[in-house]
Amino acid sequence: MQKYRLVAIAILIVMLAAFPFLEPEVYYLSFMFSLFMYVVLASSWNFIGGYTGYLSFGHAAFFGIGAFATAKAASMLELTPFLTILASIPAGALAALVALIVGYPCLKIRGPYFSVVTICFAFVVELTVKNIEFLGGAEGIWLKFMDIPEKLSRSILYEVMLLLMIVTLSVAWWLDRSRFGAGLRAIRSDEEVAETMAIPTAKIKIQAFVLSAFFPGIAGGLFAYYLTYIHADVVFNINISILIVLMAMFGGGGTWLGPIIGAVILTVVNEGLSTFAQAEIARIIYGALFIVVTIFMPNGIIDFFRKKGSS
Amino acid sequence: MLRVDNLTVCYGQMQALRGVSMEVSPGEMVALIGGNGAGKTTLLNTISGLIPPAGGSLGWEGRPLNGLTPDMICREGIVQVPEGRKLFPAMTVEENLIMGAYLPTVRKQSRESLRKVYDIFPRLADRRRQLAGSMSGGEQQMAALGRALMARPRLLMLDEPSLGLSPKAAAEIFATIRVLNKEGLSVLLVSQEVLETLAITARGYVLENGVVALKGPSSELREDPKVKTSYLGL
Repeated sequence: MQKYRLVAIAILIVMLAAFPFLEPEVYYLSFMFSLFMYVVLASSWNFIGGYTGYLSFGHAAFFGIGAFATAKAASMLELTPFLTILASIPAGALAALVALIVGYPCLKIRGPYFSVVTICFAFVVELTVKNIEFLGGAEGIWLKFMDIPEKLSRSILYEVMLLLMIVTLSVAWWLDRSRFGAGLRAIRSDEEVAETMAIPTAKIKIQAFVLSAFFPGIAGGLFAYYLTYIHADVVFNINISILIVLMAMFGGGGTWLGPIIGAVILTVVNEGLSTFAQAEIARIIYGALFIVVTIFMPNGIIDFFRKKGSS
Repeated sequence: MLRVDNLTVCYGQMQALRGVSMEVSPGEMVALIGGNGAGKTTLLNTISGLIPPAGGSLGWEGRPLNGLTPDMICREGIVQVPEGRKLFPAMTVEENLIMGAYLPTVRKQSRESLRKVYDIFPRLADRRRQLAGSMSGGEQQMAALGRALMARPRLLMLDEPSLGLSPKAAAEIFATIRVLNKEGLSVLLVSQEVLETLAITARGYVLENGVVALKGPSSELREDPKVKTSYLGL
């Protein structure tokens, strides 16, 4: 069983990696790029939000930090396209460092208060970036276009984001089965009891938070290069923060598969709606879908079908 | 082994403990009794490191415990079984037990510890795959006790282990605690089952409004007129 599953995953990865070689339209490459990106964001968020129950509503901040750090480094140092992609890794590390500094005081606050603090944190970061002339201020940062055909550049970014997704999901897979993950689950269940059982709650919460900021930081860097123009309004948009949370919760927080399913379904639905329906109508249907799922599947789609399967 | 000296604990303006002194010697089983709000749970939580003391000192084998975090205190071998069991309800019995051996030092022996716990509570072995939240109160208390044992404690602090249990289940739990103590484990037992508690412990402390009102051998406390009227209803 385990073996077949691994083979199936391997085949899926090969198929996804081979997709750009079939010369698809650029639209599909772009669509898959954002799909992979949302899987990365939702799965990373899940490390802290899903497993420990500390609902961070400010994850766009890490995404944006990664985007701005990469863009600034690329435009200032005049990096080649290849180096720009690599620069997103230290940009992710910067996002992780910010998470470490912010997480230390913030993770002492529990429940809705933590959520509120993370929202405020995201706004503070956004305003700070907007008011620093050095970071492009209110104008944003332009990146140089790649000197290659659009389809090729899109294909490269597709493959890189796919790789980032595979790495993120591998870490998530490990975390789900590790003692570390078990400790995080214990925190969600009852933090006081977890403490008396010698689980170093403060330490592992920070570790989870830092890890959950790292991958979105890298994704932000790739996104900056994908857009070639970034602005604080775009990458720090609170809608991104909310969307990440919804995707993870929609699929099922605290599970490996949940955020993947949530991100895939919601990205597809969102894209389908905005293609076939008017934007306003799309928003309404999207919102209604959330309400229905929240009411009838409070623990996410995964939990809903698992229960159905067992009864 | 454990030495509490002139301990003061405050919740905001309210003093929950006012200069409490007590001790537990190696291999001893000590009772801590008192009415609701006397400060029994506060004392245990302070020893566990969950509440910072406002004054006084906590000593463990000659070294101070003040300022240590809960996980460090657990590492020292002081393990609490919280009031109301507090299992992780969405985890299975075995997962709950494994969580008890989270520390690297005891994790290596977790297989062996698990076998020991299943020896003590065969019923937990039968229910190992069951969700902890779906078990009866008595079984949950067994699981909570088992989880604490997984951390290889040297001092076990039990907060109301018989709370909400049937008399039969409570008797079983007390019997197990007694066996564990006979095998050399030091126990600090908090309970409102005063008669039962004083019957199985050697010494006891009576806590009232945050101060130690009485202390002495359990057999003497049992005969004390004040204890008789206040706690035994005699």
